[in-house]
Amino acid sequence: MIEVKGISKKFKNETAIDYKDMTFEDGKSYILLGASGCGKSTLLNMIAGILSPEKGEIIIDNVDITKISQKEKDLLRIKSIGYIFQDFKLITEMTVIDNINILRLEGVDTSRADEVLKSLDILDKKNKKVKNLSGGERQRVAIARAIVKSPDIILADEPTGNLNFAIGEAVIKQLTEIAKGKTLIAVTHDDRLCKYFDYVIDMNEMTGGKYDA
Amino acid sequence: MLKFALKNMGIKKVQIILIVISIVISAGVGVLAFNVSSQVSDGIESNAGYYSLIVGPAGSKTQLAMNSMYFTDEPLGTIPYSIVNDLLADNRVTSAIPYAMADNYNGARVIGTTSAFLKEKAIGSGDMFSDQEVCQAVIGSSIAKQNGLKVGDTIYTSHSASENSKHEKGILVVGILEETFSVYDRVVFTQIRTLWEMHDHGDGEEHEGMHATVCSILVNTKNPSYAMQLTNEYDGKVIEHDEEAFTLQAVEPMEVVRDVLSEADDTKYIVFVLCAIILIMNIIIISIITLLNMYHSAKEISLMRLIGISMKKINLLYIIQNSIIGLISTVVAFLVSRLCLVLMGDYVSSMGVVLNMSKVYLPEIFILVGIFLISVIPTVICTFVMAKRDSLAE
Repeated sequence: MIEVKGISKKFKNETAIDYKDMTFEDGKSYILLGASGCGKSTLLNMIAGILSPEKGEIIIDNVDITKISQKEKDLLRIKSIGYIFQDFKLITEMTVIDNINILRLEGVDTSRADEVLKSLDILDKKNKKVKNLSGGERQRVAIARAIVKSPDIILADEPTGNLNFAIGEAVIKQLTEIAKGKTLIAVTHDDRLCKYFDYVIDMNEMTGGKYDA
Repeated sequence: MLKFALKNMGIKKVQIILIVISIVISAGVGVLAFNVSSQVSDGIESNAGYYSLIVGPAGSKTQLAMNSMYFTDEPLGTIPYSIVNDLLADNRVTSAIPYAMADNYNGARVIGTTSAFLKEKAIGSGDMFSDQEVCQAVIGSSIAKQNGLKVGDTIYTSHSASENSKHEKGILVVGILEETFSVYDRVVFTQIRTLWEMHDHGDGEEHEGMHATVCSILVNTKNPSYAMQLTNEYDGKVIEHDEEAFTLQAVEPMEVVRDVLSEADDTKYIVFVLCAIILIMNIIIISIITLLNMYHSAKEISLMRLIGISMKKINLLYIIQNSIIGLISTVVAFLVSRLCLVLMGDYVSSMGVVLNMSKVYLPEIFILVGIFLISVIPTVICTFVMAKRDSLAE
């Protein structure tokens, strides 16, 4: 379970986002909707331990990650969290399988790679360089890398942001299928994708609505 | 980790090849310069001090000494053989070895002398040529290898490079010297009368006055003061022989070699200064290349940090990568320097020194280890700085 309590994040331009308390239950899927700049991606980055809030608590399985070291946060992210980045964060000169096997540097077991790639219909692209893949295929590679380690939590930042709606919807369908039984938190501003998730959270509301574009 | 490091290097092939080439060129030049200058000095020093004085025709002291000890250049001329007997009759003299240079065998010098000339050298196979018999030879190991010669074979020497100038009389190979990595490996040694016979055409006409003449006489005395006395006596002496006047000169070889080496030392000093400049440039170039490499890798590093790879592992990855580059570069630099030694062999042998490809000097190891460290240390510093500035650490 993930609990977000009284957190606030200040940015370099001195604007601060105050978040209302939120709880994400184990095994449920959540979609965070909201306008650009309302703090959706920032919340995901704080849950992943990439950013730290100025105040408040983020409790994951009874551990307040705002109080642990960066090393422990790295360990949490590599072992328990699968993060799908909006811009994929793939090494484009490397092959699909190498982008997944990069996790082995931290001792992550990637033996399920073939199975995961198959479930995402890109097993045939396994030895292709990422630079030669389409946007939709790259997104699937990013998903594969995030879920190959069977994380308890999957965070997806605008997973369909670079795709047209048809492909984006197919990707979301696959993602929610694969993430069944895990905690999935996805950020998007496309409310047509809400039907695939257990809960919809309006982030405009959760951050006081004062960041509407 | 190693596998991933190699894969990561594979995607930067061009960049890495350029880094390796830059290190190989600078390290290779440094190692080669040191090796060649050291081997040339060692080669000259190794033959110095065998003889107390050398008596020969008037002319350049250096040419006389270098021709008689290192078979370089051309002889200054000839002097009568009778001087050998005069010297042997002198009770201050322990040995007087005649030396004549004439002819060649497939480009290798043919030296006429006595077996005493080779007393410091070991025979690898066969025996020493006889001082009583003519047309026997002991050959250097390189000549044997290059021409596929073995004991019992007959060689035909020539007066010049032309095939037509080959002597009809053959010389029997009775021994092959052990490899010495000196100019002795590329010379044919025979009894001095063999040369006289080759040049005596049987028609009573002596060819180029070879008969009963020598190019120089290598003398050993009972003590150094006798050497000084004899040098003074023979230097500038004019003797009459067969109605011909011969002006002699006598040189103390150690003195000549000392002069040559002092010039070589100046050259060596210049080489060391150049090596030091090259090494400093190396440090700068390799550091800049490494920094640029790390700068270009910033995106890749931030990507790895975001997916959870720790800074420690990333640092290790880059240190492994640069260590591999450093190792490959130093090994290739060493191999290139050895290849250059082979290529330079013919040129340096004309100076009387045979370069030994397998000869490695301790400072060369220091240079190579230094180059390796230079290629790795900037990475260690970079990764240390990156770890300190880790964007995720707060």
